[in-house]
Amino acid sequence: MGALAAIANDIVLLAKPALFNIYFALVSIPTGFVLAVFMALGKASSNPIISRLCRGYIYAFRGSPFFIQLFMFYSLLLSLNLSVWKPLGLDTIVLNPLILGPAVLALNTTAYTANILHGALMTVPRGEVEAARAFGMSRFQQFRTVIWPNVIRLAWPAYTNEVVFMFHATALVYLTLPVIDDQLDLMNKAGTLFEKDYNAFLHYPVAAMYFLVISAAIFFGFGRVYRHLMRHLPRPPAMRFAPRWMR
Amino acid sequence: MVDSLPQWLLDVLGQDVQFWLGYLTNGKHLNWYASVQYTLAAGVLGALVALVLGTLAATARNSRSAPVRVLGNIYTSVLPGVPDVLFFLFFPLAFEQAVEWVRAQAICSPSDLGSGHWPPCPDANLILGTPEYLILAAVSLGIVYGAFAGNVIAGAMNAVPKGQLEAARAFGMSPLQVMTRIHIRQMWVYALPGLSNVWMLLFKSTSLLSLLQISDIVLWADRLGAPNFSRSAGFVHPDWRWAYYLILLIFYIIITFISEKVFAALTRWAGRGMATAGAV
Repeated sequence: MGALAAIANDIVLLAKPALFNIYFALVSIPTGFVLAVFMALGKASSNPIISRLCRGYIYAFRGSPFFIQLFMFYSLLLSLNLSVWKPLGLDTIVLNPLILGPAVLALNTTAYTANILHGALMTVPRGEVEAARAFGMSRFQQFRTVIWPNVIRLAWPAYTNEVVFMFHATALVYLTLPVIDDQLDLMNKAGTLFEKDYNAFLHYPVAAMYFLVISAAIFFGFGRVYRHLMRHLPRPPAMRFAPRWMR
Repeated sequence: MVDSLPQWLLDVLGQDVQFWLGYLTNGKHLNWYASVQYTLAAGVLGALVALVLGTLAATARNSRSAPVRVLGNIYTSVLPGVPDVLFFLFFPLAFEQAVEWVRAQAICSPSDLGSGHWPPCPDANLILGTPEYLILAAVSLGIVYGAFAGNVIAGAMNAVPKGQLEAARAFGMSPLQVMTRIHIRQMWVYALPGLSNVWMLLFKSTSLLSLLQISDIVLWADRLGAPNFSRSAGFVHPDWRWAYYLILLIFYIIITFISEKVFAALTRWAGRGMATAGAV
């Protein structure tokens, strides 16, 4: 088998596993985004208790490795299995990696996204908020028409990076949680293919290519959205193909 | 450990505290505490490699030779597009196989080389221990985060005001002197916030060491927390892994906290005498 045929074969073999990574990302990222909006508002809250709690949550999840968070939540739920989940008949739902994985991913991305949104919230021009108040807008109206559009525009470039890194983090889910039947993701499949023929130079780079291509697609799609968000400017920002890799 | 304490102290502590002291200082727990060295070593060594590679990559991106520039750009823009865990698993395997291939060319007979087995002959098989894997792990972390650091350092080199460099040249400094005394010296102020970020990412990635079968804090936490049943003592404890992982979580948060303080101090130190917002 030629090198190109081997690569093509691997691309086909890894297509289905890639869907698992995409599934994890598609479920966790929107969930985390919605939670993060509330978390960011909580961090900016004038109530010291709410603010402290949100700050603590964000610091804890940003300050520890996702790998350990996954292990901890999985083992915590596992230790409650015999006493709680089994009697309730929930064990196949709660401990299912297809549910638990996105749940922990969402908890993690909530913290990172909330931090980005909070940073943006702090840089919303004060004059615009004051103008909205002078117009007699209610707090909700101020948020919906003035604060939120500013926040999302300010936060979007950083959020794009966060989404890409979250997609990369999906590679860790099945290194931690038990794999059910043949529901292998990219990392598992590359690992099992490697164990068959010990060809590390074929399988891992093809898996890496999947991650690269999907990361590039995320940058492209989010760039389009950014242009749409900035459509009020005389010259909308050009599409950036050189990503700023920073979390 | 507990036996060596004086009797009056044991009386004060009471039975429960004595039990927990004994439990937390048994041999396995001491191994766990000692295994922190692997995590710290991988983090520090990885950071050094990342710093060196990042500086090289940033220099390469500003090089006069086009191929070197392309190489630097490919390194700093492609590698961060791959999950760190993938490269972390790939690099040690690839390195091991490359060494085995070279050995096989020298040792194995031609018929073995054509057999398609891996390794071609048993003699070429490389058996690595924990120290070797630790170095490979640190180097692969260094390569991954070197690309991140390269982006940061390249940005910081560009952020140094051009007037500073022109002034240095006007004073008659040689290009090397401008580089070392002015450019790199001032670069740190702009690079440190980004490098702090890279260090935090890198250190959090040291939790992956157990994937290379290194008995690090994660592997020991898993062993210690697993439901424990011994024939002599009976059922010792149920599944306590979550508690051990919680301790690891707190360990990493503490390291993050300390790192933040250290980098804040470093930024103050690097910015001394400079008119930037970061300087005090």
